[in-house]
Amino acid sequence: MLQPRNAIEDPRFFRIVAVIIAALFIALNLLLPLLVVFSEALSSGLHAALVALKEPDARSAIRLTLIVAAITVPANVIFGLAASWAITKFDFWGKSFLVTLIDIPFSVSPVISGLIYVLMFGMQGWLGPWLRDHDIKIIFALPGIVLATIFVTFPFVARELIPLMSDQSRDEEEAAVSLGASGFSTFWRVTLPNIKWGLLYGVLLCNARAMGEFGAVSVVSGHIRGLTDTMPLHVEVLYNDYQYVGAFAVASLLALLALITLLVKSFLEWRYADEIAATHRH
Amino acid sequence: MSLVVESVAKSFDRFAALNGVSLAVPKGAFLALLGPSGSGKTTLLRILGGLEFADMGRVQFEGEEWLSLPARERRAGFVFQHYALFRHMTVAKNIAFGLEVRPRAKRPPRAEIDRRVAELLSLVQLDGLGQRYPSQLSGGQRQRVALARALAIEPRLLLLDEPFGALDAKVRKDLRVWLRKLHDATGITTIFVTHDQEEALALADLVAVMNQGRIEQIATPEELRAAPATDFVAEFLADQRVRPTPLAANVVALR
Amino acid sequence: MSSIAGSSRIAFRKPSALPGFLPTFAFTIFYLSTVVLIPLAALVIRPWSLGFDGFIAAVTTPRVLAALELSFGAAATAAIINTVFGFIVAWVLVRYRFPFKRLIDALVDLPFALPTAVAGIALATLYSQKGWIGGALAPWDIKIAYTPLGVIVALTFIGLPFVVRTLQPVLADMGPQAEEAAATLGATRLQTFVRVVLPALTPALLTGAAMAFARAVGEYGSVIFIAGNLPMVSEIAPLLIVIKLEQFDYAGAAAVGLTMLAASFLILLALNALQGYLSTRR
Repeated sequence: MLQPRNAIEDPRFFRIVAVIIAALFIALNLLLPLLVVFSEALSSGLHAALVALKEPDARSAIRLTLIVAAITVPANVIFGLAASWAITKFDFWGKSFLVTLIDIPFSVSPVISGLIYVLMFGMQGWLGPWLRDHDIKIIFALPGIVLATIFVTFPFVARELIPLMSDQSRDEEEAAVSLGASGFSTFWRVTLPNIKWGLLYGVLLCNARAMGEFGAVSVVSGHIRGLTDTMPLHVEVLYNDYQYVGAFAVASLLALLALITLLVKSFLEWRYADEIAATHRH
Repeated sequence: MSLVVESVAKSFDRFAALNGVSLAVPKGAFLALLGPSGSGKTTLLRILGGLEFADMGRVQFEGEEWLSLPARERRAGFVFQHYALFRHMTVAKNIAFGLEVRPRAKRPPRAEIDRRVAELLSLVQLDGLGQRYPSQLSGGQRQRVALARALAIEPRLLLLDEPFGALDAKVRKDLRVWLRKLHDATGITTIFVTHDQEEALALADLVAVMNQGRIEQIATPEELRAAPATDFVAEFLADQRVRPTPLAANVVALR
Repeated sequence: MSSIAGSSRIAFRKPSALPGFLPTFAFTIFYLSTVVLIPLAALVIRPWSLGFDGFIAAVTTPRVLAALELSFGAAATAAIINTVFGFIVAWVLVRYRFPFKRLIDALVDLPFALPTAVAGIALATLYSQKGWIGGALAPWDIKIAYTPLGVIVALTFIGLPFVVRTLQPVLADMGPQAEEAAATLGATRLQTFVRVVLPALTPALLTGAAMAFARAVGEYGSVIFIAGNLPMVSEIAPLLIVIKLEQFDYAGAAAVGLTMLAASFLILLALNALQGYLSTRR
């Protein structure tokens, strides 16, 4: 069972205790909460859970979440590709500062991520009066939600691609250009195949976070049921209303999304380990 | 014969690294384990150091059943190809390590440890560099620290795993000379692994030529040149048979 | 071709044979500015509309101070817990072999992938008086949900992957040589661990802990369900920001947000400096 490693193995007793502690900690902290979600959703039977999901407000929430993700992810992919191309294929002053800027959303609280858009576009925000005069709604409407979600998720693709493309030398692209390829053609035929796994990871993570974002969206959305509630917000609404089965049913959908994301990620890492390692070692 | 190896065998999964190896080394001798990669020389060295465990066979050192002793009790100084220095410790702390981890009863007092470290720094010609960190030293300097560290525990046996393999040719040559002088001064039984025939024949009193987990021949450098026992030995030492270059005759100071 | 255009910018960037710098760089800056920098500017500027004294007064009310103390204190506690257990988890995952190891490795990523609201309601249910864990602890009169303890539990949940994933590659890269050297020099396993292994891992541990801490300070969705949200007792700083926004106290909300950002920034700077100091000698 617990295999030793020649001369510097840890004593057997220690190994067993360490594994048990680690396993218990993971089970308690991570596994149990996951199980609770499904257990509560199904506490009144599968039928009740499905009925809750078919409820009109739930359906709008699901629809809104999908729309937001459908806008956010492609936008962030384009940004990620542009930023990593500019950063990794060229040397310029201020490069590392730019990279630090891209990391900002990671160190900012989700609530603050929403707050800044309210400060810009809210009723008492900078552009608030102008927007009201022109009858444009950003806060408490789809555009605000999309903006906040973009803010929170845009580093994901870029952060996957930048180290990956930094590791790869520029030789191949330079060769393509010397052979007469245009910029776009070089990117499409030479760069893209080398980064496809990193790009896929980035998209997966970006999507998972875009669909699951709560804090930032909560601040900008106004919680207008049926209109500006995404799935995570709808979970909160139902939970605060004591509709536990409904809340956990929607939560289960999100949890399933998370599990699928993890599964695909693991599968890709396992199946294409060699290819991934190869692209890292250019 | 202070070191006796009897029919030691070791396999990794299905790969037989050592196929029943026997040899005998007199006290204070300098033995080279010479062979191409995959010949088993490093495996044998690591078994002698307690870093690998033999599947079969027996080793006796100065009368003791060597293989039943764990690495930390053997007092066999081991020098790695890539130095394995403790990067977060100064040179002085690295050298003092073996003395500082001794159980309280056997640990020398602080002043004694410091004195020995200074002595060793002198011996390896690194005086004044005690407070540097390994990252601030050159490859050759790091290897000398590694040697000083191994010598600090007053080893009964010194094991060197291609210690100059990571260094460039000039440094290698200088260190080679210096190592031989060190050995002559300290008289410790030394076993040295290398794939470089010139190095082995120049340095060692005894050379064991290994191939595919077996010892093809074990003899003095002169005997090997004059009378190779097998075709493999003859081919392996082909370009060494023309011009012998014994080191004992050269005395070169290390810069 | 377009490489000639680059020569006019030699002071800013090195000329390169590859095309596409201008469009990608310009787009990157544009995207970053509109999505991140300008809104953040709003956050930095807005609090000062209260005047300097007003700003200080707004963030030093007892309620705000209590919330900041809770957010930072609980985040620090959770980071410490995660450092200890995260270390054990990373150790057994890298060095030992045991059944279900793959499963545990995959589970570590769960807090990254699971939406915070889902985690929030799951933890709240799990640790409530009638929950699986909360119920088990009830006979001993230990309350977790709706107390600061609950906040710590939630922050531990979300911080674990940061420590483990930062430590794993470093541990994996370490190789046995230093430990083998220590063994040949006469050190016991314990001595080797304390004198050789732990010091080598300290920078990575610090980084992981810092990241877990930074994330925990701003965490919202996982915490508000389990926290109890009583002002002065179990109210976290992000919630306070939301409440102020709902009261249209934009400047006050921005003031608290800015304070949180500044404090986190300073702490991370200090940790970074510490880590830099430890690394210069390696």
